[in-house]
Amino acid sequence: MATEVKLPRLGQGMESGTIVRWLKSEGEAVQKGEPLYELDTDKVTQEVEAEANGVLLKIAVPEGEVEVGRTIAFIGKEGETVAAQAPAAPAPKQEKAVEAAPERAAAPEPEPEPQTTNGRIKASPLARRLARERGIDLAAVRGTGPEGRIVAEDVERSEVTGGPAPAAAPQVRSAEVSSTPLSSVRKTIARRLTQAWTVPAFMLTVSADMSRANELIARRRELEPDVRVTVTDLLTKVCAQALMRHPDMNVQFTEDALLSFPNANVGIAVAAPQGLVVPVVHGAEQLTLAQIAQARGDVVGRARDGKLRSEDVEGGTFTISNLGMFEVDQFVAVLNPPQASILAVGATRDQVVPVDGELLVLPLMTMTLTCDHRAVDGATGAGFLKTVKSFLEDPGLAL
Amino acid sequence: MPELSYREAVRDALATAMRQDDGVFILGEDIAEMGGSMGVTSGMLEEFGSERVRNTPISEMALAGAAIGAAMQGMRPVAEIMYEDFMTLAAEQVVNQAAKLRYMSGGQLTVPVVFRTQGGAGWSPGAQHAQQLEAWFVHIPGLKVVFASTPEDVRGLLWSSIYDDNPVVFFEHRTLYGIKGEVPEKIEPIPIGKARVHREGEDVTVIATGRLVHESLKAAEEAEKQGVSVEVVDPRTLQPLDEETLVASVKKTNRAVVAHEAVTRMGFGAEVASVIQYQAFDWLDAPIERVGAKFAPLPFAPVMEQFIVPHSDDVLAAIMRTVGRNGD
Repeated sequence: MATEVKLPRLGQGMESGTIVRWLKSEGEAVQKGEPLYELDTDKVTQEVEAEANGVLLKIAVPEGEVEVGRTIAFIGKEGETVAAQAPAAPAPKQEKAVEAAPERAAAPEPEPEPQTTNGRIKASPLARRLARERGIDLAAVRGTGPEGRIVAEDVERSEVTGGPAPAAAPQVRSAEVSSTPLSSVRKTIARRLTQAWTVPAFMLTVSADMSRANELIARRRELEPDVRVTVTDLLTKVCAQALMRHPDMNVQFTEDALLSFPNANVGIAVAAPQGLVVPVVHGAEQLTLAQIAQARGDVVGRARDGKLRSEDVEGGTFTISNLGMFEVDQFVAVLNPPQASILAVGATRDQVVPVDGELLVLPLMTMTLTCDHRAVDGATGAGFLKTVKSFLEDPGLAL
Repeated sequence: MPELSYREAVRDALATAMRQDDGVFILGEDIAEMGGSMGVTSGMLEEFGSERVRNTPISEMALAGAAIGAAMQGMRPVAEIMYEDFMTLAAEQVVNQAAKLRYMSGGQLTVPVVFRTQGGAGWSPGAQHAQQLEAWFVHIPGLKVVFASTPEDVRGLLWSSIYDDNPVVFFEHRTLYGIKGEVPEKIEPIPIGKARVHREGEDVTVIATGRLVHESLKAAEEAEKQGVSVEVVDPRTLQPLDEETLVASVKKTNRAVVAHEAVTRMGFGAEVASVIQYQAFDWLDAPIERVGAKFAPLPFAPVMEQFIVPHSDDVLAAIMRTVGRNGD
């Protein structure tokens, strides 16, 4: 009996994934634990391992988006035959969708989500045509018609408000404009950052004298040239320590409760080829600078290679976005929901600063902290930022 | 422009054709001295005499057969079937003979006959004298079917029907006989197979026949007050159907309501809805709504009769459903 390979749920909230490519072809032998195919979810692209030994008998879904739980391939004995068609989505799901209908009618109106039934989006034929012509993904359009049906107006509105923007305005037909379908990562970035934009946020800016921090980094590199410690690593450590001193900062706002986290899981914004991803260094408060550098090198490297695992990007409680290497003086970062704060870090520059009546030239680094004001008060954010500044200016204080 | 009632307009087309053409004559039950049960042929016996205004026995099958025979011999008879409910009695002749003879004779015969008939609720005639049976006849290849809703249309279309070389079932609506409307000085033939856009609009197309054209125009006015712009189109000829005009209108408005007095189920509107969904599928922004009578025999009781047949508020509700947001 052949083993069905089903699309796994790789994280909470994962409903579907996009099969990028198969790493084995039909008829090829497969060992349990061997990478079988590449899967693009809304968080990461990763290789998924085979869960059985045998021969890859059939690939039911060569590529494209598939809902979780669907059979995408069969592994079995050489020569074994399998049903020509992969079984469709499991039947109970359909029943559930049917049952859900009256319930939805009776329930108080929920925030309309893209209406799908077993992955089928409810949209009028006209809406479908407009979306097709303008390259709009209906999955990202909110339906306002009866029972949440997407009607033409919704498609037009989504285009105006730049929901998932079409690659080109339809009227302007220019030879240079190219249209690229949105990747899962790009859709997720758009959705989450749009969500972030609805959060009431405040920003605090401070500059830190980086003289001692730079000395510390230089000394570490001297001692352990193999582990290349960076400013970001030091910031990760310093922020983790500061979060421990200011537990009111290590929180998340939910509709019902404020969540406080015991560990400082620090996310680092990385410009990966497929788009922005934020791998997380978990429990950074317990790691040494060298350990952080290693963990950071590991996840960032995998982010750049598109090989992140779900757990690499989950559970962050704070994010650092460092654009100093791009010579940016200072900037304001958009929150990374559901996290309550993010630190935007600029380049370190020599500046003339009056100190005790004297003019000194100091390497200053400007940082801007963005906070979710629903979860964090201004003074809390300011206190945290002051601690970060003092730790950077005198790293010994972080001990 | 002169003003005629719908009844006078029918009579004008008949009398004018009979004056200019000896081949045209009328026959039916009580059409001579009595002037027909609806008074349409009133006064025609005096002008044209009993040879050309022929009372027949109370046998729809016989009078339909006589008309078909005369047509096969080169006349252009117009037979009146008193109520369209009684078309059931004439059906053998209309469906099996008139509709088939040209085809089965390889074109050697033509049957240029018109079966005028009327029906419609609104005056409490009960279940056997007010049905709307046009769907039965649009289902028969070989028949043309006309259903006019205004004096101008009924006159121009009856004229074209008389001079069409194919059998035409010509439906009139009982409650429209009294309505008045302007007509051209001289009869202008209205081509069979051509719809009429009564009112232009942007948001919803209502395709209506007979009495429902007027109900739909009322509904359109009401919708306008609520900010919904409605186009009202009357196909006028049910067979052949002016699909082009209907589809073009729906492609413009993206929403359609089909309205007739006949029962909705298996009705003419179902065919219209099918034509639209197929030809304008990618232009539809809402399901096609259908308005028609409830699936029940018509009761005598006026309140019950009003409950069964559709009115302007039913059309309005359907219009609003097509533009509705999150149900109604």
